Amino acid sequence: MIAHVEIPGLPAGIAPGKVAVWWFLASEIMVFGGLIATYIVFRLGGSGWAEASHHLNVTLATVNTLVLLTSSYTVVQAFVAAERRDARAVRGHLALTILGGFIFLGLKAVEYTTEIRAGFTPGTGIFWSFYYMMTGLHALHVIGGIVVNGAVLATEGVSVRHPHRVELAGLYWHFVDVVWIFLFPLLYLA
Amino acid sequence: MTTGKPHPNYTAIWLWLMGLMGLGVAASFLPGGRTLAVVVVFAVACVKAVLVAANFMHLRFEPALIYALVLIPLLFLVVLAAALLPDFVWHSVSR
Repeated sequence: MIAHVEIPGLPAGIAPGKVAVWWFLASEIMVFGGLIATYIVFRLGGSGWAEASHHLNVTLATVNTLVLLTSSYTVVQAFVAAERRDARAVRGHLALTILGGFIFLGLKAVEYTTEIRAGFTPGTGIFWSFYYMMTGLHALHVIGGIVVNGAVLATEGVSVRHPHRVELAGLYWHFVDVVWIFLFPLLYLA
Repeated sequence: MTTGKPHPNYTAIWLWLMGLMGLGVAASFLPGGRTLAVVVVFAVACVKAVLVAANFMHLRFEPALIYALVLIPLLFLVVLAAALLPDFVWHSVSR
């Protein structure tokens, strides 16, 4: 059921929780957007960035992109299942989403290990400082998303009483996905 | 989007995202100058982001309030980048 709380000034039919999540995402746009805008400006004004990025593992990053995009699909399917009040399907799709998060983090850990062993640490140069900062902050958000999806799984995955909570958790997960959609070309492909 | 409204075809959107991901990676290997490759790669990324936001995040079903919450910070980012860009790019060129 949707939260039937009427807030003066809010358009009809929109849950206050959804407005709150979008407010939060607006602040997150500024966090990641500021970092990305700074990266672009520094990169346009400097040299040697493309050479540094050639040391990154494009194959692993491509697999991680596939994993995150697919986990966005599974979390939205969890919402569809929640609307049907199908707790079993909600459980399955949220579990797959969380698994996607763990796979992403695992592959990122492999990447970090390889790069650090090759001598590329955050102190190696400005590209590497940005790389570890942006992907590290993104990985923290993936961990946050896993926790949120786990909390929703523990409640709505047992008995679906608030399907909109599955949608709200999904909004955050999709945002994490959208951030990666831009980090992938910025760091690996450009 | 609230309960009871129609859903987009999520599977079709996911397939588009997979195809665009392949296109973006392939474009990064385009021969010749980097400009064309970079333009295609970022155009593909923008299309992917819009597909996710409009369909998976249900933005296309939301009222103007939600659009405002998305567009205002994006506008701030454009202002931020525009304010910083001349300093770094021109400073670098003049060195």
